[in-house]
Amino acid sequence: MASTSPPPAPAPVLSLPNPPRPQQLAQPPPVAAVKSEVPVAEPRDPPASFSSIPPEPSPAAVAASYTITIPSCSGWFSWDQIHDTERRILSEFFDGKSASKNPGVYKYYRDSIIRRFRGNPSRKITFTDARRGLVGDVGSIRRVFDFLEEWGLINYTPSAKPSAKKGEMGDDSEKKEAPRRIYIILCARCFVRGDYRPGLSSTDFKRVDITEETKADWTDKETIHLLEAILQYGEDWKKVAEHVGTKSEIDCVARFIKLPFGEQFLGPEEVGEYGKPHQKNDKVVTVPEGENVPEQSVSKRMRLTPLADASNPIMAQVAFLSAMVGSDVAKAAAQAAISSLHKVDIAGGNNASDDRLWPAASDGSKEEGYKIKLSSYVEAVAASNGQTSSDVLNEAVAEAQSQLKKEEQDVEQYLSDVVQVQMKEIQDKIVQFEELELLVEKERQQLRHMKDLLFADQLAIMQHKMQLLSKGNERGEKVKQTNHVPCL
Amino acid sequence: MRSFHPGASKAPMKFRMPTAENFVPIRLDLDIDGQRFKDAFTWNPSDPDSEVINFAKRTAKDLKLPPTFVIQIAQSIQTQLAEFHSYEGQEMHIKEKIVPLKIDLRVNNTVIRDQFLWDISNLESDPEEFARTFCKDLDIGDPEVGPAIAVSIREQLYEIATQSISSARETRVGKKGRRGGDIVANSKAGNMVDLGKLFGSKGSVIRKRKEWYLYEPIVDILSNEEVGALDAREELNARLKRKLDEKEESFQTRYSHG
Repeated sequence: MASTSPPPAPAPVLSLPNPPRPQQLAQPPPVAAVKSEVPVAEPRDPPASFSSIPPEPSPAAVAASYTITIPSCSGWFSWDQIHDTERRILSEFFDGKSASKNPGVYKYYRDSIIRRFRGNPSRKITFTDARRGLVGDVGSIRRVFDFLEEWGLINYTPSAKPSAKKGEMGDDSEKKEAPRRIYIILCARCFVRGDYRPGLSSTDFKRVDITEETKADWTDKETIHLLEAILQYGEDWKKVAEHVGTKSEIDCVARFIKLPFGEQFLGPEEVGEYGKPHQKNDKVVTVPEGENVPEQSVSKRMRLTPLADASNPIMAQVAFLSAMVGSDVAKAAAQAAISSLHKVDIAGGNNASDDRLWPAASDGSKEEGYKIKLSSYVEAVAASNGQTSSDVLNEAVAEAQSQLKKEEQDVEQYLSDVVQVQMKEIQDKIVQFEELELLVEKERQQLRHMKDLLFADQLAIMQHKMQLLSKGNERGEKVKQTNHVPCL
Repeated sequence: MRSFHPGASKAPMKFRMPTAENFVPIRLDLDIDGQRFKDAFTWNPSDPDSEVINFAKRTAKDLKLPPTFVIQIAQSIQTQLAEFHSYEGQEMHIKEKIVPLKIDLRVNNTVIRDQFLWDISNLESDPEEFARTFCKDLDIGDPEVGPAIAVSIREQLYEIATQSISSARETRVGKKGRRGGDIVANSKAGNMVDLGKLFGSKGSVIRKRKEWYLYEPIVDILSNEEVGALDAREELNARLKRKLDEKEESFQTRYSHG
């Protein structure tokens, strides 16, 4: 087990921010750390976690010349989607009351403003800059701008200490203290694998051996307090230690790490850890019976934080961790745990390795009962996430239907393409005919012109003829007259 | 969907912008202590009055204008809004009309000229969407062009809407009577297009090819020198016009009391 010395100053870190508003939301972000982003992609740095939940692999694209940081309470932001937070706060775009204020317009404002800011992140973007570049009424733009600024999606510099808002919108994105020293505690495995934030290196970590377990045994009460406190305060070990009362910070941390819950969810890979599910069984026994049944109804009630009832800290822990990793992983892990339990059964039982952890241990004979309990509350966990086998089937059906729809759409698309091509053909034909018409028209005019000319010629000829005829008559008469005279 | 009665005149309705959103175009042109500030944007008249002063403060702060501008900006906006609200109780008479609108703008380095037909009886029309599509289709790089186009369209529609109010017509003619009624006639409302002739038996929906060039948008990018030259000329014109206005006002006041 290792814990860090306080990280160097330039790495801006926030402990769990507690935005006052989102109690209605899903659990407050359980893991701290500022998420550094690269402008192009949207990678999330692996959160520094205090149990061995494998963090997501950080993509290779962290090699940018600068990084853009946003506070972790705004980690929900994504270019492709509109989050519930946005829908809630800027409801004017989503209530359908006005035709031109719709989610598309909101997305256009939001994306343009953020892109504009990130084009030059060293400079704060002003509202006037933003509204001058956006088409729309300035009132709505101002509201979107203010929202983005408050949630740190634009104009956010981590070293700056924001002035406390009077709770007008209540969405403060940072704690008001200076950035505090954070102790990041990794198990040896994570440390070796290097699964900590890119800002740290292995030299920042200091090895801490947790050997003082024997100093004072952890009673159940203390464990319950510990889990409660962790759920409530997160990584704030000072407060957790206060809550527990009799144990110091380090003890709390060490104890928590030793709690086997985290390991369970590595079930699929960690076959060697079958000792741990056993310990889990023991815990089930120590907890008052009949917890599972009421828990199921409880779980249906509290959709968002299933089984977070502190009276059953194990369930709380299970719920908390399963919510963190997602229902599929939890289910898979639980099933793997069950199957490995079976193997353990066959192998002939295996007592808990750390007896000193569990004073009420060594109930190997009750394995059957434990298995049943285990499977029942695994189901509770699964049920709390709303997944049963029929649901899975339904999902498959829905998937198939959606694919069908997609096919239909494709077919429609092709049809429309074909129609379009044909229309284009017709249009070309029309154009050609138009040209033809023009030509024919011209010819006609020419012909008419020629006709006119011919007519004119004809007239001219006729005139000439008349003239000649008349002249001829005259001469004829003159000739007659002159012929008579010489005879005399 | 409303049924379409070609040629029927609509019953008079309350004054509003003939667009999906009842937004007002606001134009600011202030000159205080030699510093000039010009701006144009779209305002939602149902926003509370506190927005006006906040907007004025914010704009002045963002653009680093001296604080004397704040009051002036707020007053100018409020005056224009009040004018808009004053029309609101009255009745508009809009017939089925298609009017030609013109865009003739210069925004920073981009010059845009276009004309197109707009159906003012379509109360779902959206100048903002038109402007966005325009900029996207013509690949216009400067983001300030879009809002300028939207404001320009709104201003023209606003003018048409106010002119269709019968009671307002006489007062306006009276006001501008001295300068000559031609100003009213030359307004951008222009000549209405007769739907019957256009879509009747002889006409066709497809525009004649020889007229295509008239309706094609023109987008020009100017170099910085040209922009500088144009700016200087506009400045000069504005100054001259202002002097002329002042002279005329003093003339009127002097002699109207005669």
